[in-house]
Amino acid sequence: MSHNIKILPGATVCEDCTLEGDITIGGGTVIHPRVTIIAEGGPIIIAEYCLFEEYSTIIHKKSDKQENPPKPLFIGAHNVFEVGCKLESPCGHIGESNVFECRSFVGVDVKIGSGCVIGAACSLNAPQTLADNTVIWGSEHHNREALEKQPSQMLQLDFLSKVMPNYHRLRKPNVHKRQTSRQSQEPIKA
Amino acid sequence: MAYLTQPDYVKYVCSCGQLKPITNLYFCRHCLQIRCAFCICHEVDSHYCANCLENMPSSEARLKKNRCSSCFDCPSCFHTLSTRATLAQPRQSTEQGSGDTKVENKQPKKMYYLSCFNCRWTSRDVGIPDQPVASGGWPERANPYATRVNQLLDYYKAIAQQEKQEKLDRERKKFAIRGKYITLTDKTGLTGAMARNIAGLPSSESSSSAIASFTPSQASEEVEELPEEFYTKELNLNQITSMPQRLASPEWQPTHVSRLHPIAKLLSVKRSQRCRVCDHNLTKPEYNPGSIKFKIELLAFYHVPEVKIISYEPIKPGCTSALLLKLTNPTGHEMQIRLMQPEDIPEPEERVDEPKSIEKSLEKSLNLEKDTSWYETVKRKPILLTECRITIPDVTLTLAQRDDAAEYDDDATHDANDIILWRKSNKLALRLQVVTSGEAQAGAAAGAVLALQYRYRNAVPPAAQPPRDHTLHAALRLHLGPVCG
Amino acid sequence: MELQDTYYNKAEYVETASGNKVSRQTVLCGSQNIVLHGKVIVQSDAIIRGDLANVKTGRFCIISKGSVIRPPFKKFSKGVAFFPLQMGDHVFVGENTVVNAAVVGSYVYIGKNVVIGRRCVLKDCCMIEDNSVLPAETVVPSFARYSGSPARLITTLPEAMPDLMTEFTKSYYQHFLPTTVN
Repeated sequence: MSHNIKILPGATVCEDCTLEGDITIGGGTVIHPRVTIIAEGGPIIIAEYCLFEEYSTIIHKKSDKQENPPKPLFIGAHNVFEVGCKLESPCGHIGESNVFECRSFVGVDVKIGSGCVIGAACSLNAPQTLADNTVIWGSEHHNREALEKQPSQMLQLDFLSKVMPNYHRLRKPNVHKRQTSRQSQEPIKA
Repeated sequence: MAYLTQPDYVKYVCSCGQLKPITNLYFCRHCLQIRCAFCICHEVDSHYCANCLENMPSSEARLKKNRCSSCFDCPSCFHTLSTRATLAQPRQSTEQGSGDTKVENKQPKKMYYLSCFNCRWTSRDVGIPDQPVASGGWPERANPYATRVNQLLDYYKAIAQQEKQEKLDRERKKFAIRGKYITLTDKTGLTGAMARNIAGLPSSESSSSAIASFTPSQASEEVEELPEEFYTKELNLNQITSMPQRLASPEWQPTHVSRLHPIAKLLSVKRSQRCRVCDHNLTKPEYNPGSIKFKIELLAFYHVPEVKIISYEPIKPGCTSALLLKLTNPTGHEMQIRLMQPEDIPEPEERVDEPKSIEKSLEKSLNLEKDTSWYETVKRKPILLTECRITIPDVTLTLAQRDDAAEYDDDATHDANDIILWRKSNKLALRLQVVTSGEAQAGAAAGAVLALQYRYRNAVPPAAQPPRDHTLHAALRLHLGPVCG
Repeated sequence: MELQDTYYNKAEYVETASGNKVSRQTVLCGSQNIVLHGKVIVQSDAIIRGDLANVKTGRFCIISKGSVIRPPFKKFSKGVAFFPLQMGDHVFVGENTVVNAAVVGSYVYIGKNVVIGRRCVLKDCCMIEDNSVLPAETVVPSFARYSGSPARLITTLPEAMPDLMTEFTKSYYQHFLPTTVN
């Protein structure tokens, strides 16, 4: 498997995590320790300001129906992957501002819109498409439609990107934008 | 702790015949009997809200229908709602033309709304305006049937009072001679009614008026037809409330999610427990809702020797298997224990309480009034027949008192004895033999019974007597897994 | 039934002067902010996030394999703050459990695969059963036993819960033994 990890400036990526395959991590994204991201079936592209907490696992699974060259798994901006959640979707696209709560599981063939909340310990296995602002919760997987999008975690990301370098060994951004001079101190603002 | 995470392997027999793990049993120090939740009296000590841990006097709780005034449950998923703050830029400046308000409202104002962290429902979803204060002030909905409900309440209260009065009159005729003792029943509130009776006043007039003015409800023959669109209109299930959501607010029963309204949180209670035979408290918690301490805590766990299974050999029909038990003395006094078969427990002697003094007869007259019929309904014979029989060694075991400092002591001492495996402060391990009858069915649950005879020192005797030692018995049933084939 | 012995690899664990037994396979971020008050067991692959805020445990706590102890954050109008996480004495945290609580009292049993949401308050003497999910900001009162997703009160606990938990955590500690290397 090729190891081609692209970390954009402004991203905070802990060294103590497993990144395999062709992965692009957008600016402002924070990856906590013990995160696993495996791009075995194709590249994974993570947009800006996503939050990956401990033990979250993102796998772009290999599958037989895959196109050649494989389509990338694109994870939109402002997604939050809480502790211990697992995403196995090769379904091309995850929208924006979704929250994958603790220990939730999203299997293959699940298409996720924007502003959705996958409740703690919920597991989505059957092929389905979640409309925007869907909230799934509880052991019976109740769902309802939220009125508004989930609030963004900008403030938390801001805090983490300031605090985490003091305590963790980080992977350095290795892709530079054109203005290379300003990249490391780039303020993280929406 | 094994008690909470594992099935109950050892169950004790309560004085009422129920089989319960020792953690769920109480020990009445006055009757010297094991009691369980089934045969004792549960009383409400105090009301409190489990969310804000605020105490509420019982009179206020009744007034507020046992609901907290500041905490709410989510009407969608019933999880507790949290108060969220937002900064709202007042828009009054555009609505009101005057210059003064414009200057005043430059500062963004803190506004609060309720939000559920489980299903993300917010009070904004149903158009409840944000509030300027963090707690309280939420609009309350009036029950559309409030007047009728109150009318019904008044009516039934009046009827209840009337019936009580009639019963009282009857009783008074019956116990006319024992009139002297009536003051003893102060607690039950009979004296007020009695006084009115003696004075020859008519029993309160208000009640009769409530009965007179009451109109019973009428069932109507004709029911409105369902509107046509009911059958034709397509449903959006996300907009329709579920049955639990409707039943959570019975007064309104919203059919549409836009009509869901925060539900005031139900209060919890602190309970105290009372022995039904001697009326002494078995447990009494401290008043503070956050406290885990008890003023009175007569648990079997602290008074009755505890038996735990360490391990056992698989039970096979017609075979003898070894069984290792651990005995613990939870009391602060040395304890002698003898093992025996439950059928060898001597029948308890009938208590001969002949009234000797005037106090005794008073007590007896009170006991007469006490209804003891409950006991017959509650009492049952425990099923203690098992295929396995424990061979009882004829020894008296002495267990040292409980000593909290002993945990730092050296390792267990190993006795040369072939029954006692080891001893450690107030604990000892026993090796026993279990003989299984040849008729035991493979796969069936194997059980064995055992009885303990133990010397119990009542450290706090009821009436300033010196500490007394009692010989008490406890029967218990051990679950030894399935019978192996 | 009595607890059986649990054996651990002696090389894997570090034992401190106060009797804490901490696996080397754990992630203790910001260890200067973590206080384990003695006789605490932290098993392999557990994560304690001291870098976010202080984490304090009492005596005789057991943090099982794969669990994550993580101080909760709260949003304010000006930024976020991570709150310190306090845990009382005699607390058991089961395997693969996520604890985001603000306060965990004493004598608390948290089963395995449980999610304790942000800023939950678990009062003394309560129990969360295996596989439960406690949504954020839940208050679990004393002597309550919660279960399900979302977790609800299912029954009450026996009055002797403090003694049961004390006995359980102590005997767990006593039965947590290094393997005898031959």
